[in-house]
Amino acid sequence: MLKRKMIKNFGWPLKTAMRETEVTRLYPEVMMELPENERGIHELDATTCIGCASCARVCPNSCIEMVHFKFGNPLKNKKMQFPQIDFGRCMFCGLCVDECPVECLKMGKKVVMAGWERKDIVKSPDFLSTKRFTAKEVADLEAEAKRVAAEKAAAAAAKKAAAAKEGPAKEGAAKKPAKEGAAAANGPAKKAAAAAKPKEGGAA
Amino acid sequence: MTNASEVLSSIQSAFPGAVLDSRVESDRRLWATIDSKKILDVCKHLTTKLNFDHYSGSAGVDWIARKEMEVVEIMASHGAHQVVAMLKVKTPRENPSVKSLTGLYWNANWYEREIWEMFGINFEGHPELYPLLLSDELMGAWPWRKDYKGYPDLTTGERAVKISTPEGYTEYHIPPTPAEVEAGTVVTVRLKYPTLREREEKEIKSDSEMIMHLGPQHAMVPGPFLLDVLVEGERVHKAFLDLGYIHKGIEKIMENRSWLQGITYTDRMCYVASLSNNECYCGAIEKILGLEVPLRAQYIRVILEELSRIQSHLIGTGEFLTLIAGVGYAPWQYMIIDRENIISLIESVTGARLTHTFVRFGGVRNDLPAGFADQCKKVLPYMKSRTEEFIELFAQDPIYHKRMDGVGIIRPDDAKRMGVSGPPLRAAGVAYDMRKEDPILVYPELDFKVVTGTKGDSADRIDVRLREMLESIHIIEQCLDRIPEGPIKTEVKVPKKVPAGEAYYRVEDPRGEMGMYVISDGGDKPYRVKVRGPFYATFQTLTPLLEGTYIADAVAIAGSMDGCPSEADR
Ligand code: SF4
Ligand code: SF4
Repeated sequence: MLKRKMIKNFGWPLKTAMRETEVTRLYPEVMMELPENERGIHELDATTCIGCASCARVCPNSCIEMVHFKFGNPLKNKKMQFPQIDFGRCMFCGLCVDECPVECLKMGKKVVMAGWERKDIVKSPDFLSTKRFTAKEVADLEAEAKRVAAEKAAAAAAKKAAAAKEGPAKEGAAKKPAKEGAAAANGPAKKAAAAAKPKEGGAA
Repeated sequence: MTNASEVLSSIQSAFPGAVLDSRVESDRRLWATIDSKKILDVCKHLTTKLNFDHYSGSAGVDWIARKEMEVVEIMASHGAHQVVAMLKVKTPRENPSVKSLTGLYWNANWYEREIWEMFGINFEGHPELYPLLLSDELMGAWPWRKDYKGYPDLTTGERAVKISTPEGYTEYHIPPTPAEVEAGTVVTVRLKYPTLREREEKEIKSDSEMIMHLGPQHAMVPGPFLLDVLVEGERVHKAFLDLGYIHKGIEKIMENRSWLQGITYTDRMCYVASLSNNECYCGAIEKILGLEVPLRAQYIRVILEELSRIQSHLIGTGEFLTLIAGVGYAPWQYMIIDRENIISLIESVTGARLTHTFVRFGGVRNDLPAGFADQCKKVLPYMKSRTEEFIELFAQDPIYHKRMDGVGIIRPDDAKRMGVSGPPLRAAGVAYDMRKEDPILVYPELDFKVVTGTKGDSADRIDVRLREMLESIHIIEQCLDRIPEGPIKTEVKVPKKVPAGEAYYRVEDPRGEMGMYVISDGGDKPYRVKVRGPFYATFQTLTPLLEGTYIADAVAIAGSMDGCPSEADR
């Protein structure tokens, strides 16, 4: 009796071994399939990030630092500050993603980021951004931004002048060019956003 | 059934003037400030007259602005009623001292030791006020007081000075920097108490006895802790536990992080139970905020917590089998393969494999992905048949039973007295489960049994875990059928600052009763978070359990507790 039961138990592993189950992951030859919700390496949409630093403030490990990056939208992100993430400290909690007001920070399925030195895994917006403007688009946008700023300044000056003179008729006239400027600025920005192709920010 | 206001009036009539302040939060929660002279009598009254037979722990709070300290005793009952009484005892901040409850409740020992070493509150009548979690270097610094200036920087080994001891060992000492001495982060005056080694050596009665170290690295419980056994031949005469090897000070860290950031720390207390830890923390804060969780989110939480229970039990049982490897077959790897299915299910929702940071105040982070129910319907029946197979395998294996039967028996009375919870308690035959006792979320609407054992030995504990997995599968199936459409977060905007208040929230962790006591002073950070972990309570019972057993059984007993020192140390 005892023997029979034991033999049955010894047979069990054999039976299970016959079934085809993937036990060893074949990484790095074969990457396992990751779900849509995977919280992997961050992906930054540099064309929409407004540089608010909400992500940096909420991070429990303070691993996000706001740094300068060229290929963003100077119209929305005046100081051109974008998140840089220290993956040596990041625990992939996803709080920064939840906190982003314009939903430009996401977490993707990419998980490989090994480096030889600690500074190698501090990833700049250049690595993180999956969407960005080209240099030319940025130059255009910068020009737009300058014009808008100048027009705003002019409008403000005109308004001041108008207020000083207390001429209500002139105020309306001063407002007009500012509005036009804004509309003109919007046009190319949209076009540029549509033209920008998602680029893989590779490690190499 | 007794409710909180009845308990309060009973105390008030028995001890007029003993209740200085009270608040009946709900039928199941009573908050009362008790005169420190009467606390022993009140507790005795509660235990003998009102069935409060479960001393669930205590918490220290430093009210620096009010110049007083508080010890909060958490009292509950093993099923006679559902009231949890939070009894506060106040003591001045200068020379804080309260009466020890160790005379009444055996398990008060560790809780009071912890409060003593962290806050410096003396417990009059405590038999062994020795450090528990802290190292000897930090004793006397009282690190959890609000005016503590920070831990000394011991992260760099360069400062270490080599010292040769008279016995011929080499020890390293890290001398404090002048800045640290000035800030008061290092202790200059050492407290007087016998060290662990001195305490152990005192117990050696004859030449035939010796001390054997199991740990700090030992497979019987994953995680570092030191179990020293005093043995004579194969017999264990006495056991000593030393923990604190991975004390992370999570409770203190959480006081320095915003409410939201705190969720990430609850993950790291015990990574196999991170969802229920999330739940416990968020639930406590929802209680303070008075947030209503949408129905769909409640179902999602229940589904994930039960999935997490299955994977935790699988790894708990599997690891235990590797310890008693004499079984002949070792289903450990099969359990791990199966666990992978469950982990993948959880990962498809939360995006992380173990540290989920998933529950949010008033909801959850993500909705269930498309096809989740179908995937569950594939995995769960498979898991069910596998679990049934495992149960059968264990039941019919004669070697396993020769090895496990009657090993590490905890009788129901002892289990209650020692404050264990979860599978070790239920294996003893006490049907005590937070999902029934202190129901949260949609648990009251779900149909499930509380699995109990009969003998309370190691084999029973494993059996209870395996059968609990079947119940969990049953719960998830019901949830998948009933889960409604709707929002997964409350529409109310969760404020950055939580209004002043306090709450105690309990969930059934895979290991037992997990409770969090959260205090807010109206700021953007918690004022105090006390974690009453299940394994802390179970761990404490290990030393008496091991007395009189064989060395080989020590591993079987400790392993069957499904331990997690990380959670005990926090
Ligand atoms: S995932 Fe968490 S730890 Fe990582 S950068 Fe975002 S907030 Fe910080
Ligand atoms: S990523 Fe989002 S949260 Fe971070 S700076 Fe940009 S817009 Fe703000």
